[in-house]
Amino acid sequence: MLLEAIDVRKLYGTFCALDGVTLAVGPGEFVSIVGPNGAGKTTLVNVLSGLTSPSSGAVRFRGDDVAGRGPVGLARAGMARAFQLVHVFPALSVGETLAVAITSRRGRRARLFAGLAGDRQLWDEVATVASVFGLDGALDRPARTLPQGDKKLLDVASAFALHPEVILLDEPTSGVSTGDKHAIMEVLVKAAARMGVKAIIQVEHDMDIVFGYSDRIVALHQGRVLADATPAALQANDEVMATIVGRTVSHMEPPAARTQPLPSKTGHPRPDPGTPGPLQ
Amino acid sequence: MLGGVFHAAVLFLVAAGLQLVFGVQRILNLACGSFYALGAYFGVSAVTWALGAGLPAPLFVVVLLGAGLALAAIGPPLERLLRTIYDRDESFQLLLTFALVLMFEDVIRFFWGTAPYQLGQAYLIYGQWRIGGSVVPVYNLVVIAAGGLIALGMGWFLARSRFGRIVRATAENREMSEALGVDMTRVYARVFTLGVALGTVGGALVIPATAATNEMGIELIVEAFAVVVIGGLGSMRGAFAGALIVGLMKASAIAIYPEVEMLAVYVVVISVLVLRPSGLFARATA
Amino acid sequence: MARVIAVLLGVALLAAPLVLPRYQITLLLPSFAYGIALLGLNLLFGTTGLLSFGHALFVALGAYTAAYLTTGFGVRHFELIVVGAALVAVVVAVPVGLLCVRYVKIYFGMLTLAFGMLFYSFLYKFYTVTGGDEGMRVLRPMLLGQPLAGLNKVDFLTGPFYYYALALLALAALVMHRIVRSPFGLCLRAIRENPEKAEALGVSARRHRFGAFLIAAVFGAVGGTLLGVPTGLADPLLAYWTHSGNLVFMLLLGGFDHFLGPVVGAIVFIFLQDLIMSLTSYWRFVFGAILAVLVIFVPRGLLGLLDARTRASA
Repeated sequence: MLLEAIDVRKLYGTFCALDGVTLAVGPGEFVSIVGPNGAGKTTLVNVLSGLTSPSSGAVRFRGDDVAGRGPVGLARAGMARAFQLVHVFPALSVGETLAVAITSRRGRRARLFAGLAGDRQLWDEVATVASVFGLDGALDRPARTLPQGDKKLLDVASAFALHPEVILLDEPTSGVSTGDKHAIMEVLVKAAARMGVKAIIQVEHDMDIVFGYSDRIVALHQGRVLADATPAALQANDEVMATIVGRTVSHMEPPAARTQPLPSKTGHPRPDPGTPGPLQ
Repeated sequence: MLGGVFHAAVLFLVAAGLQLVFGVQRILNLACGSFYALGAYFGVSAVTWALGAGLPAPLFVVVLLGAGLALAAIGPPLERLLRTIYDRDESFQLLLTFALVLMFEDVIRFFWGTAPYQLGQAYLIYGQWRIGGSVVPVYNLVVIAAGGLIALGMGWFLARSRFGRIVRATAENREMSEALGVDMTRVYARVFTLGVALGTVGGALVIPATAATNEMGIELIVEAFAVVVIGGLGSMRGAFAGALIVGLMKASAIAIYPEVEMLAVYVVVISVLVLRPSGLFARATA
Repeated sequence: MARVIAVLLGVALLAAPLVLPRYQITLLLPSFAYGIALLGLNLLFGTTGLLSFGHALFVALGAYTAAYLTTGFGVRHFELIVVGAALVAVVVAVPVGLLCVRYVKIYFGMLTLAFGMLFYSFLYKFYTVTGGDEGMRVLRPMLLGQPLAGLNKVDFLTGPFYYYALALLALAALVMHRIVRSPFGLCLRAIRENPEKAEALGVSARRHRFGAFLIAAVFGAVGGTLLGVPTGLADPLLAYWTHSGNLVFMLLLGGFDHFLGPVVGAIVFIFLQDLIMSLTSYWRFVFGAILAVLVIFVPRGLLGLLDARTRASA
């Protein structure tokens, strides 16, 4: 198991945001967290990514207890996160932004006298990452001049540049037009394969995307896990679907829509779409 | 001890002005010390002139108050100046108020020169009382009472009056208040002027007990900051508590070991920052 | 553009003693000192986004270290004095920095102001140790081991000491240039732009700010040692918060988002101050007005203006 939440509870005063959430993500998995607003999705991601400490319960990354370790420690441990609201460095160029991530990954953050400009290895890698995300045309442009969609790509690209084992994405396709959503998802999966990302966890609202790309869907409702199953199994359960989507749905795109599989650590085959998964 | 409370009363006035302006406009006004100094000098001149013109001596307090309040007239034009950089990074706002500090230093020097100004023994006109073994000028008690009254008045004003509620709402959430139709320009102008008035009145009231010197403005800033840090940025109650703490600390330090007078204050400031970073009563976020 | 300015400046400063009258040369000396101190301050402000209103603390620390070493311990080698000042700066900057970098923006400004004033009151009150408001003497140091006793004060200052100071400034600039262009410098800029994002990428905001604070302190102190020599005096007012304010003023004047802004700002400020002081005793008012104009209309300083001009004509 790469990332686990074990009976996590999070209370804000008397308000219970998470009420005993247990969830495990293994290598090779693409997990989507869904649920209506206020279900606790972002809180769960905050707890998983170390931004918030759980009130009770454990969070384990590769077996180590990481509850509340903080984004810096977790980023160095191999977990990266992209936020829902786009976060960029306004005055830094695309290239420089990626360079920050790569420098951090290589542990060179404190190098005082090393020349940055002459580091061929660094800038080659910057170019590579940029091209995977289609940003290579904008390497010298300051991030604040980029269109919103490219800013989002840059935000995600810099997270990927950390070569994390697990990446958490908070609504990666929000604010993006439908036509571009699939393009972004393809880029994400391709990038994950190229940069050794072993698992992707995303919070997503767009059900087409969710059902088209996920290996597993975790449905949250009022701070609890309503369902944790494969897309096909979930589809078969009208009750759960009604809660998540707010209406019954007749048809969702099958998982085959995704063109590339995630690299799996042990090489196990992906769960068969027809196998019913556990429902809680 | 009562000397400490007297100092605290004056400090409270200046700090309250700082807090008000910060709470509403998010500007930390380095020039609040300059208003204090202006109030002091102007107060001396006003009283000297009034006494010379035949004013009965006991009424000098009224003249002081009047002088302080009259100076608040510089509030609106100064606020217009600051308005030009409201949307900029707060470092620039801080620097603009520093520019004001520099300018006011020379304004004071221009009008009043470099020698200290004093009111002499005029304030002893109210006599002195024996309290707990020491002799305290009644004037100091009057100022302490005034400080307390103003504190209560501010509290009531913010809690009950219509404008006070607008001020609090704007301090909590600027955009929301604007969306609800509050005229920001007017609010800012009034709040800033009130802040100036608090500073100038504070300076005017302190003048009988001390001399007006060129440095008094820039010296006070550090204490005012200490008060604001201890009490919590943006909080009126914090200004009150902080002023009391700083005033009493200075008084006890002077009584016990004069060398460490300001050092004691700094120690408290640092301890508060370590133990409770947002101050004792923090409300607004810095 | 930046290279052109650097070259022009370098040539001008090298040639100055041959062309300018002696008085102007002695004015350049504090400019060099402030230039070094400001290079450090700009690492904090321009690069990392932290405005310190207490940088004068370290400048004073440097001057007093020079005073102590020359008068108290008989150390005259200026190289040793510089190293000593740097060490003292680090020792003081560690606890001060650890506390201050926990806060940002306004709180950081206030805290640094308070620490500066704390040092000032210490210097002022403990007069048996520090000489109180009279200050401490800084005796003429030996440059590169040369006592140069044969030269009178003015000859010393406008001759060997001038070039020594200029060399020190150039060295400081080179070092700072490396630092700003390093991965560390990039991380500092990232923290300035978006601390949360930087942390999400594994860059600790607090640690980097602390590092910047330490480096700035060292540069401030080295500048301070240079400052004490021409006047021969280290006095408490060096640590006063208005002195810190003037430092920031100089930075703004030159342009904080330019590498050489600090140096240009220091030189222009000193000369301007000299000029205006000779014209009116109300120079503070004039300077306040200049600062106000800068903040409102020319926030990017002189080099920023130059930038805009060259871009417009391009």
